[in-house]
Amino acid sequence: MNHYKLSISEINKLFKDKKLKPSELYSEVFERAANTESIIHGHLTLFQDENIKKAADADKRYENGTELGILDGIPIAIKDNINIAGYATTCSSQMLSNYISPYDATVITKLKDEGVMFTGKTNLDEFAMGSSTENSAFGPTKNPWDPSRVPGGSSGGSAAVVSAGSAIASLGSDTGGSIRQPASFCGVVGFKPTYGTVSRFGLVAFASSLDQIGPITNNVEDSKILFNSMKGFDPFDATSRKESKTKQPKLNNAKIGIIKELMEDGISEDAKLEVQKVAKLLESQGHEIVEVSLPLTKMSISIYYLIAPAECSANLSRFDGVRYGNRVAGNTSYEMMENTRAEGFGPEVKKRILLGTYALSAGYYDAFYGQALKARAMMKKEFTETYKEVDYLISPTTPSDPFKFGEKSDNQLEMYMSDLCTIPANLVGMPAISIPTGLSSNGLPLSVQIMSPANTDNTLLEFSQKLESVVSFTSLPEIKGGVS
Amino acid sequence: MKIVPTIGMETHVELKTNSKMFCRCNVVETDKPNENLCPTCLGLPGSLPVPNKRAIEFITLLALSTKCQITTDGMFHRKNYFYPDLPKNYQISQFDLPVGTEGSLEIVVNGEFSTVEIERVHMEEDTGKSTHIGSGRIDSATSTHLDFNRAGIPLVEVVTKPLIKSSKEAVSYIEELRQLVIDLDISEGKLEKGNLRFDANISVAYENDDELGTKVEIKNMNSLRSLEKAIEYEISRQTKMLNNNETIIQETRHWDEKKEVTSSMRSKEGSADYRYFSDPDIPNMILSEDFIDKIKNNMPVLPSEKRNTFINSGLSIEDANSIGKSPKWMGELYKSVSDITNDSKTSFNWITGELQGQLRKLGETSPPEWMTAEQLAEIISLVKSDKISFTSGKEILGELIEEKINPEEYAISNKLIQENDTEEISKMVKEIIKENSEVLERIANGEQKLIGFLVGQVIKLSKGKVNPSVAKELLLKEIK
Amino acid sequence: MSDKIDIKNVAKLAALKLTTEEENKLEKDLSMIIDHFAALSEMNLPDEKISIHPLGTPLDLADDEAIIFLSHEEALSNAPESSDGQFVVPPSLD
Repeated sequence: MNHYKLSISEINKLFKDKKLKPSELYSEVFERAANTESIIHGHLTLFQDENIKKAADADKRYENGTELGILDGIPIAIKDNINIAGYATTCSSQMLSNYISPYDATVITKLKDEGVMFTGKTNLDEFAMGSSTENSAFGPTKNPWDPSRVPGGSSGGSAAVVSAGSAIASLGSDTGGSIRQPASFCGVVGFKPTYGTVSRFGLVAFASSLDQIGPITNNVEDSKILFNSMKGFDPFDATSRKESKTKQPKLNNAKIGIIKELMEDGISEDAKLEVQKVAKLLESQGHEIVEVSLPLTKMSISIYYLIAPAECSANLSRFDGVRYGNRVAGNTSYEMMENTRAEGFGPEVKKRILLGTYALSAGYYDAFYGQALKARAMMKKEFTETYKEVDYLISPTTPSDPFKFGEKSDNQLEMYMSDLCTIPANLVGMPAISIPTGLSSNGLPLSVQIMSPANTDNTLLEFSQKLESVVSFTSLPEIKGGVS
Repeated sequence: MKIVPTIGMETHVELKTNSKMFCRCNVVETDKPNENLCPTCLGLPGSLPVPNKRAIEFITLLALSTKCQITTDGMFHRKNYFYPDLPKNYQISQFDLPVGTEGSLEIVVNGEFSTVEIERVHMEEDTGKSTHIGSGRIDSATSTHLDFNRAGIPLVEVVTKPLIKSSKEAVSYIEELRQLVIDLDISEGKLEKGNLRFDANISVAYENDDELGTKVEIKNMNSLRSLEKAIEYEISRQTKMLNNNETIIQETRHWDEKKEVTSSMRSKEGSADYRYFSDPDIPNMILSEDFIDKIKNNMPVLPSEKRNTFINSGLSIEDANSIGKSPKWMGELYKSVSDITNDSKTSFNWITGELQGQLRKLGETSPPEWMTAEQLAEIISLVKSDKISFTSGKEILGELIEEKINPEEYAISNKLIQENDTEEISKMVKEIIKENSEVLERIANGEQKLIGFLVGQVIKLSKGKVNPSVAKELLLKEIK
Repeated sequence: MSDKIDIKNVAKLAALKLTTEEENKLEKDLSMIIDHFAALSEMNLPDEKISIHPLGTPLDLADDEAIIFLSHEEALSNAPESSDGQFVVPPSLD
């Protein structure tokens, strides 16, 4: 029997009941990777050697009854923009193809302490900039549901490997939807926590005020387990928060708002129908569905594509070939930096750096970046006001089902539009989860997104678990041209 | 029409915290390069800045002591530019919400009080150190070596308003600022170690012009002497140009210590576009009333307060200022000694002149631990009361530096006590006059200088015991 | 918004060397994106002091205690060029 699609708690029970050993599970997962990676290309590197020893250690712990916790012995894939000491952190970029990290991200330290085994590092859009993983310098990842289609991005690799079964769960990062959108495209669960609840120390920064690390999993309970093992104030991250008492939304008889502006132009009929279907399910659970209006969500793309590039233009300045990275020669150090960056960065990264530099430059700050910050503050007000009337918000996760390779790569604005539904949660810093709920007319996964106020993460997860229990969605696809 | 200079000073103060500004790496000096590093100060991917609380306390202390308005809701900004010694290719600094604004500092120039207005006091981080390898000149280097130990060390930048009027004022200002940061115990304040670094902005204009002239930034002045010389040179250069109707370019110039001129730095033209924006990795910095009050209530004695105490003890403004800027022991010793002697000027002169001079000759920077104010006061009193000569006083001081002695006992046992009895001295004077009749004649003929010779003879006769001024007085009386 | 973007200047600020082809394509792409921002730029938004942080997280200043993080070897482990414990780069002019 294959165990790689079981939930973490199911696996843990098998471990404790001595019906399965961590080393056996790891072999299964590794074999699954061996069978699927040639098609999917979700992992950039696999950590086999280290894991054989780690699995043996986990075996002993379960034998002796000294297991560390529910995550002990669970193989989890890590997006390659999260630092693991001693291994490459490439961010899927030529710039860092030879960079070996000397330190662990805080989330990695926490998971290591729980006995988690890292299957390896997964593919992403270069420096987390993209919505399809087509921007990876090391080749794209394919969607396990249909390898001629994108897995989404930027955490395409992380989503694909969970979907395919070559990891029990994975970590991704979400700046404008980079966990939720690929999770939706690959038919798995993706969760973006409240900004600041999970430490960013060790996550290669894209947009500092938007980035969050989060889990991609087969079910909501797994996301809850992973989130709770990673969350917490970190003295190495000044933006991380201490837990505070917040009014929690209702779990029963809740009021749920469908965001009007995210059910209009630009959203496919399939996606709209899916939300309506889920709305009915929620009503059957005793909740009330209303329509709400959040007008500034229409400005999301503009606001995001000013703030994110501006922040990333400075965050990526450190990549200059001086202290690390693939240096390209120059006669002076400035020339060396220019040349190194010219060769190291792909076109999308260059574009966003230039866009950000422009938005911040003298004479343009007020009209662009300054204006975007104001609009963002207003959007937050809109959400806060709305949450006085409703407990949760619901929308499609993506405007459509997964698109084909090359379909949007020539049309930048269309590509950016893939993030229309997901961006608002990043801009306002509030938690959001994507749950697969059905199939499109193409037989591809569709998901809905549920959002809640800041610092209500566990309530949102619990609420989503309840919804999940009445949704019928089978996650394991048959990988075309490969082993199922 | 008179041309007047305007000077503004930008000073960077290195804070003496235990760890760096945005990470907890050690700041201890080491000659091993790249020893005190972490992902944050090395600019590794995934690293984040977390501001140092003590550094903020220090800058708040400095801002309060210079009477600044404190920004209670401030933030950090990224100043973006590419340079190899800048690990992130942006420096975390403060732009429009610095910790302190609109302050002032009392200084002493040419023995008089003056005030320097301070525009802002803000927090930032230092860069790494570049060493250019090659033939020694910056423009013919073959490579640059980088050491990031210094990267991330907390720096406070103090910017004055462009209202300083002379090189002397600028120098006095730096001296005052240096003393302030030393007395506040927030910096070692050693110029030669780079704890305090400064640049000057200089412009000239006709006296009755409303607007300031084009400002030129001068860098690379490593001592107060260079500062003074560089400002003088630049004022003179700009004045000449203004007189010849030449256009002064806004630029940054480098002070050449050897050639003693300022010269153009090639690459900088116009002003750079730093694209300042508030650092998204650091939330707003709220300084609570409690935080500020705690610092206010623990403010050490300021140089200006010390100076006033010295003035009240009887010193001139100039002397009070100079002793306040001398090593701590001097001011303390002076206070104690002048309290006993009630003679501020004499106490001042003995300590800052004779004592410091003798210590310097021996290569010492402070007096021995057995030296007390009482002993010094005793020497002073012995000299003042004419019991011993000034020379003898110096001798006793010299002994006291070498070993613990009792000045009066030493004077007695070494027969240094002077003869002051006029009767006794008269006898000797008469004797010398008798023996030197030819000299007397020469004096009568106008050779006044020979009076000194005769006084010397009296001293010799007394085996050095006689009080020279009494001897001279009696001699002159006798001659008449 | 129809100011032509001085792409050469922006590239210089960003230390990115671009080919002429890249310059042309990027100038077009960026102009298209900037035009898309028109609606946002024209919005009349109140002039209040805004925090860059969505949730107004309070800042916790760190205690001033030194810790050892990277060893000298770790710090230099990815250096493209080093000598005598220092990073080496082509000469940097001021």
